[in-house]
Amino acid sequence: MIATLRYEFAMQVRRPSLWIVYALVFAVLIVALPFGSLDLNDYEGSVGRQAMSVAAQILVSLLPIVYGCMLADRPSRDRVLRVDGILDATPSGRTARLIGKYAGVCAATAVPFAVAYFGRALLYAVVEGQPSALGWAALTFLASIVPGLVFLGALAFAGPLLLPPMVFRVLFVAYWFWGNLIPAAMMPTLSHTIFSATGEYVRYGIVAPPPRAASGPARRPCSTSCARSRLRSPPGCGSA
Amino acid sequence: MRIDVSGLTKTYKGGARALDGLTLTVPTGMYGLLGSNGAGKTTFMRILAGLLRPTSGRVAIGGHDMATAEGRLAVQRTLGYLPQDLGVYPDLSARRFLDYIALLKGLHSRSARRRRIGELLEVVALSDVADRRLKGFSGGMLRRVGIAQALLADPRLLIVDEPTTGLDPEERIRFRTLLAQLAGDRTVLLSTHIVDDVAQTCRSLAVLAKGRLAFQGTVGDLVSHAYHRVWTVSTPGPAPVTGRVVSALPEGTGMRYRVVAAAPPDPRARPAEPTLEDGYLALMDG
Amino acid sequence: MKPVDLWRHEARRAGLPALLGPPVLAALIQLLAVFGASLGSGEENTRWFPMSALEMGVPLLAGVVAATLPGRDPVAELRLAIPHGYRPSLLRRLAVTLGCAALCALAVSVTLMASNWWTFPYGGAAGQLVWLAPALWLAVLGFCSAAALRSTAAATSLVAFVWTGEQIFGGALADNTAYRALHLFATTSWGSDGWPLNRLVLLSTALLLAVVGWLLLGNAERVLRGEPE
Repeated sequence: MIATLRYEFAMQVRRPSLWIVYALVFAVLIVALPFGSLDLNDYEGSVGRQAMSVAAQILVSLLPIVYGCMLADRPSRDRVLRVDGILDATPSGRTARLIGKYAGVCAATAVPFAVAYFGRALLYAVVEGQPSALGWAALTFLASIVPGLVFLGALAFAGPLLLPPMVFRVLFVAYWFWGNLIPAAMMPTLSHTIFSATGEYVRYGIVAPPPRAASGPARRPCSTSCARSRLRSPPGCGSA
Repeated sequence: MRIDVSGLTKTYKGGARALDGLTLTVPTGMYGLLGSNGAGKTTFMRILAGLLRPTSGRVAIGGHDMATAEGRLAVQRTLGYLPQDLGVYPDLSARRFLDYIALLKGLHSRSARRRRIGELLEVVALSDVADRRLKGFSGGMLRRVGIAQALLADPRLLIVDEPTTGLDPEERIRFRTLLAQLAGDRTVLLSTHIVDDVAQTCRSLAVLAKGRLAFQGTVGDLVSHAYHRVWTVSTPGPAPVTGRVVSALPEGTGMRYRVVAAAPPDPRARPAEPTLEDGYLALMDG
Repeated sequence: MKPVDLWRHEARRAGLPALLGPPVLAALIQLLAVFGASLGSGEENTRWFPMSALEMGVPLLAGVVAATLPGRDPVAELRLAIPHGYRPSLLRRLAVTLGCAALCALAVSVTLMASNWWTFPYGGAAGQLVWLAPALWLAVLGFCSAAALRSTAAATSLVAFVWTGEQIFGGALADNTAYRALHLFATTSWGSDGWPLNRLVLLSTALLLAVVGWLLLGNAERVLRGEPE
């Protein structure tokens, strides 16, 4: 299992397209959302733990899409490369190999995510002179982001085995949008509930309080929460 | 259809040089291209098929310059190509797969296409399983589907890359006999690392080594490289340390070794009649 | 003109999910509208959902399908050795799948117009740009990024990101003129203000991306290399 984990990790983490796509998405996030300032209006940017919560909130809005899509083609890779027969002939069990593959691929696909998050945390700690932010970042990542990634990894692993990969990709994107991003006022959704994979509940419970009640869409002009609040809601429907 | 190659060099991104100043002339008929794995054979085949562009050098096939788009197009119109790793659509039957390739090759008349596919399935002895899905085909059957698709448009130039790799002896014999029969007035370029395939089908051949032309001539010329350099040694002890051991056969309490070496590798060594394989090894060993 | 048999083969190669997706989506949109109306959802709200589903759903499907097409093809080397065997056949597959999506989207929009649920100022043929412009743009993005990155997963990720990102940034960047011209879902975001220009920019940039994708796929060496594992 460990050997499979290490192999799968190495294969995925050195895949150029993984880094290229994450880099492109990250670049757009930096331009469009306040990942530099961490200014969501709802929080005190000078408070380390709140700033780390905001950083997580921004990243977790879109990077998981890349995470899920990039690992969805890994379960079938052995078959595509025609090495499944060789692997089946080894003494290692299929279950152990599957667990190793899952853990290795998920960990590798989360590396750019972690680099983006902890890179920002390090920058924050240095610029603001708050080394404690690194601790809050670690706590936020482990308690709020990792559970979501573990779930999404399992979903992206199992999905293409149950559905045609193309269908799964469409449904995965639709799920992420419906279940994690859209305002709860718009339609019944998992978004903003304990079942949301964005880890909001944990962040609000452990790291930072829920955002102050917004007085209107204009209150949160540039953030993931603003993004949600400004999701193209139907006329007269109001915002989240 | 004559192939003229001069000063052909191919360097891949990253600096790996697959071909290094290759100059070669391939006449009409069956022609063998030998070389170890990584010698540059597949790169050469792909350049001839118009898939890769050379870094430098010139290739002309039947007078068409492969450096121009028109030249490549003209060659591809007369080309039958069987790649080393023939991929197929496993959900299609052999007949449907051939039908698709025939359409891509411009055989638009349904009746003519059906007739041609039927003929070729007969030629490659797959008529009985023509409507079975390709995912159930053995390696040999897939290679035969491959040769059938290569022949669909009655090509003047047939390029087959490692066609017998992985085939059982019966399939191999059937396959190379088929290729030899097809040669006639066509040019059939057979690339392989299996010396026996060339020995059984080609009069002329070239040998590539590390992207360079190591030999060009007849089979007899290559065999002559091993004259007075092939030995058999029967010994109860270990293999001779000098020369290249070609084969080792248990014999009583000892072994009988066949060795290619410039001088007798052992006082008990006796000269033996060389084969093409011995000639190839003698050439490779310099 | 290529024979029908060849188009039939290409449709089969594009895959059943790519061909069944659009009719299923069209049926879902209509069901959504009927369901919303029967639940007594507010009229504006009910009208907004089918339009949004048309403007967003069709492009997502088109983008993901297009990103999948240039992916790993076991017969790529063979097709590359056939004159006009690779790129044109990919285009035919794209045309088949996008054509199927277009027919279904057209059926939905005609239904919406006929049932007076289409309140957008542009109707008729021009109204088809509601779904056509973003669908073409995302399809070409998927196609082009699959050719550039040589990876279906990466191309799908980009399509998914752009699709989702457009929902999120649409509000935050509403005041940005350049972004307004390129926003995929301008119809349901901002209505008809600047809409013709937006559609024109989308179609022109899609054309540019398509040319890039076409050139990338013309490099047989890249195609043969496949995705770096």
